[in-house]
Parts: sequence; C-alpha cells; structure tokens
Amino acid sequence: MSDLETLRQAVIDGDWKTAANATRNAIAAAVTPMAVINCLMPAMDEVGRRFDCEEYFVPEMLLSARAMKASMEIIRPLLAAAGAAPSARVVIGTVKGDLHDIGKNLVAAMLEGGGFEVIDLGADVAPERFVETAAARNAQLVALSALLTVTMTSMKTTIDAFRAAGIRDKVKIMVGGAPVTEQYAQSIGADGYGESAGAAVTLARKLVMQ
Amino acid sequence: MDFGSTTVTGMHVSAVAALRDYYGLPRQPVKVHEPGQMLGLVEDDLRAAMGIDVTGVFPRKNKFGFPTAGWKEWNFRGLEVLVPAGFRTTTTPEGDLLLYPQGDLSAPASGRMPLGSAFFDAIVRQPEIHEDRLDPADNLEEFGPLAAEDLDHIERSVAAAHASGYGVAAGFGGTSFGDIALVPGTSLKYPRGIRDVEEWYISTRTRRSYIHSVFERQCEIGIQNLARIHARLQAGPQDLSGAIDCLYLCGADFGTQTSAFCSVATFRELWLPYYKRINAWVHANTSWKCFKHSCGSVERFLESFIEAGFDVLNPVQCSATGMDPAALKRKYGGRLVFWGGAVDTQKTLPFGTPGEVREEVLRRAEIFAPGGGFVFNAIHNLQAGTPVANIVAMLDAIQEFNGVSHV
Repeated sequence: MSDLETLRQAVIDGDWKTAANATRNAIAAAVTPMAVINCLMPAMDEVGRRFDCEEYFVPEMLLSARAMKASMEIIRPLLAAAGAAPSARVVIGTVKGDLHDIGKNLVAAMLEGGGFEVIDLGADVAPERFVETAAARNAQLVALSALLTVTMTSMKTTIDAFRAAGIRDKVKIMVGGAPVTEQYAQSIGADGYGESAGAAVTLARKLVMQ
Repeated sequence: MDFGSTTVTGMHVSAVAALRDYYGLPRQPVKVHEPGQMLGLVEDDLRAAMGIDVTGVFPRKNKFGFPTAGWKEWNFRGLEVLVPAGFRTTTTPEGDLLLYPQGDLSAPASGRMPLGSAFFDAIVRQPEIHEDRLDPADNLEEFGPLAAEDLDHIERSVAAAHASGYGVAAGFGGTSFGDIALVPGTSLKYPRGIRDVEEWYISTRTRRSYIHSVFERQCEIGIQNLARIHARLQAGPQDLSGAIDCLYLCGADFGTQTSAFCSVATFRELWLPYYKRINAWVHANTSWKCFKHSCGSVERFLESFIEAGFDVLNPVQCSATGMDPAALKRKYGGRLVFWGGAVDTQKTLPFGTPGEVREEVLRRAEIFAPGGGFVFNAIHNLQAGTPVANIVAMLDAIQEFNGVSHV
C-alpha cells in the first residue's frame, strides 16, 4: 500500500498515529503537500458520507478529525512555505454566551478536510472578534454555531456587527446548531444554514462559488 | 402533568419567578435548586396554581458537590433569587460567572456562566492522560456509598413528598452512566481520569474495557445505594418504600437533532448490561417505575430501552429525526410511558406565538393521551427567556384538552 493509500485509510479508520507516520513517510518520499491535501479531502468526504448514512457517529467523526489534523499539522508549514493557497478561508466559532463546541469542532474538521483554511476562534466568541478576524485575515466565509435558545440570538448580533463594520458584503455567513433552522437563518440575514457537519461542507463550497 | 419534579423536567428560575408573578402568588425569591441549569424550585402554591400532579425528591448535594440547603439571597443579573450556602461565585474581567466545586473558592472553578448565558456549563479540567496509567477508579471518585446525612435527607424528602399527596418522582444521583453533563466531574475539586467531553466520546470507541470497568463498578455502587435507600424507607415508623412512583435513573443522551451519539450495537454492548442489571433490581425489589431521559433522535434505541427495563421515556423530542409522535405512540405506546413531548422548547415555546403553542399542545395531547401512558411535560426544561404568555398558553391548552378528555 502506498503512503497516501495508508494515510487515506488511517483517516477513515480514525488512527492518528498511522496518519501522522504515513504523512511523514509520504513527504520523505517527495510526495508534494498538495498531493497529501488531495488525499485528505476525499478521505474526509468518505468520513462525512459514513456519518450521513449512520455508519459513523460522533466518536468515529472525532477520531477521523484527529487523524486528519495530525496529518495537516505536518503539511501546513510546507504548504505555507510553498505559497499554496487554500480553496477559501473560513472563520468559525460558537457565538457569544455559548460554551458548547462539539458540533462546531466537527464542522471545523470537516471544512478543513474539505480543503478550507479554518480559523477556529473557539467558543463564547464576541461579535467584534468575528468581525476583526474576518477582516484581518481576509476570510471569505464565517461560520457561526449555537446550541442554546438563549445564545442563538447572538448569531443575529454577530451578523449585525458585520453590517455595522461595513463588511457584510465581503463575507458569506453560514449558521448551524441544535435550535437553528433554515427559517431562523433567513430571518437574521445569514447566507445559509447547515443541518449537519456534512451539509456544512456542501454549503460552504456552494457559498464560495457564488 | 409535571413541571419541576426532576432536573430534566423543570423550569429555569426566571420562568418560575415569572409564573409566580402571573398567578399573583406571594412575592418571594425563588430557590435555585439545580445550579447548573439554574432550575427554580416549584413550591406547592405554584404547583397547585399550574395544576401540576407530580413533586420531586432530589439528592442532598447537587452536581457542583454542595448541599442544596442553607439558602441565601443572590442577585442573578437583576433577579433576586435564593441559592444554597455553598453556591460561591467569582466574576471574571469579561463578566463571566465562575462556580466552585463543593463551594471551595480555593479549588479550580468547575462551572462557567458566560455573559449572555443563563446556565453554568462545566469547565473541563482534564489532567494529562497517560495511557498506561489510566485507572477506572479515577472516573469513580464521585460515585460512592451514600452518607448517613444523604439517607436522612432522602427519608425526610420522601416523607414530605408523600404527605403532599402528589405523585412522586425521585432522583438520587449516581446511576447515570456516562452522562456527558456529569463526565467533567463538576462536583470534584481535582477530577482525575477521563474528564474531557470529546476524550470521553472517543473513549467509548477506543477504551471500551476502561468504560466497562467504570460502568460495572458504578452499577454495583448504584444498586447498593438503592438497596440502602429502600431499606431505610421501609424501616421508618411508616413504610415509605411504596411512596415513590417513579425513579429518575439516567440522563445520558443518546440522540442528536438528526442522528445518534452511537450505534445501537455500541449501546447494546456498552450500556445495556448495566441498565438491565439496575432496572432488574428496581423491578424485583420495589414498585418504582424506571425513568430514562435521553434527548434527540432515539427511536432506534427504544426497543433496547424497553428490553433494559425502562418504563418511562423523557423528554420525547418530537422535533428530532424519526421521532414522529403518532408513530412513537403507535409502536411503543403500550410499552413506554411518554413523559414529555408536549411542546418544543427549542422553537415553538420560546419563539412561537401563543396560538402556535396552543395548536402544538392540543395536537400532541390528542396523539399521546388516548389510553394513558402520557405525563404532560414540555420537551426538556423550560428555558430562560421563554415568554410567560407562551407558558400560560401551554397550560391553558392542556386544560382545554382536559375539558373534553382526560390525560
């Protein structure tokens, strides 16, 4: 089995140690960082597919995300040195007042595996921090997460902050989380709503094409 | 109807205060009896005003490890409430509130309420994990034999609940297997073992023997404690062992909005043996019904829940995938009591109109009530910020329904 085939299988199996070793071996064998990315993307697509059809659940997704990240950590500096551009840059976080981050972490991992450069601001993120980071890092996408009905309203506050800063038209904003609906997303002026981690990647790809 | 008998069928303290005002009950600060979710205690006057049929028995200590007693005043962002003596907080420069295990300000805080939130979420305090030194005993620190004070408290609480004449739901703690809200060990000053939420989920896949060891021992301790409680209730001047109608055993969530946290096969391997054992003890030795809480899309687990010996399902999250109320009633109505399901607390109740609330409540009651096996309760605790007009619309609707039928 080639190093990239081993890497692909390790990501699908959620084996981060094998994923890291295979990545190092591939790089040592002069495989380009972009070829590694081109291996990770379909591997994470497969993980997303298995999640969507309920072969995989949260623990398996977390393990695959960990394996993918172990590989990305090795190749990220090489990509930067080579001046390679990601498909798009996304700023992601759980909105102000909300500390829940598992759903957000899964979406972040799926986006990263989907070829996006992900800037993860964590949980309980103030609107101005989303705005400042998106502007400073020239992000094309902003992804907002919330688990609670009481914090969901921070999504609107955050979108309003982009308007107030005069950069609303510079970014696409997608939202998701347990209490969030398509209808709510539209009512607060979001550009899209994703019901699951897999749907978030499809949505993100659609939004950056617009 | 139930509101307030367990920590998963209650109301945020702000909702309790608003309802007391609405019904014109004496103005008094509401007691926060569960500090994580900031649940308000439903006193008998409000229970009567709302038409509630069930009261609760709670453990002596809450999930932050201090007794729910010794009430003191506290200003909760403008609302005067009462909190237990051990409820001690500090405020961060950002305005977040920190809550401390066992009320000990010298220990690392175990709960955080960000500015803009209305609940204390667990602060994960995960010591570095050394695979070769992981010891299941580290994840069992919070599970142990009940102290004499715990048994005294339970006997007093059951006696008071029985004397009230209401139905009695009791939760004694310690029998929730892998409840992710409890995994971080918020009651402990320096938790050891696997305490990070993601690490725990991953461990259900990669460290199964460790999880089995934790559940195995927790199950033994849980049954021993239930046996001591039962014996104590039998031994008093009045035999109170039959005073409990329903035992809230486990709050571990298996469902998400659209899917599940694990496969049915994993559930049957990792959880089913322990649920079977503890439920079998309850059914063999008591008249108590076994109550299982699990949010989300859990239809796939219901045959296993029934096989495990659970009698009651809560909160019956009808908004989740595969949780169609009519299908649930048709398939499981003869074998499970639906305790919940009456109205959505993520969408309709907090954000709908009173008319929408009424419609949803009437439709759900029409589905769940026929033939019995339905305890009217919202889908999980009433959240902060729920308009009181919508709560009243919910209560009016069930009265309207009861005018033509019986729950």
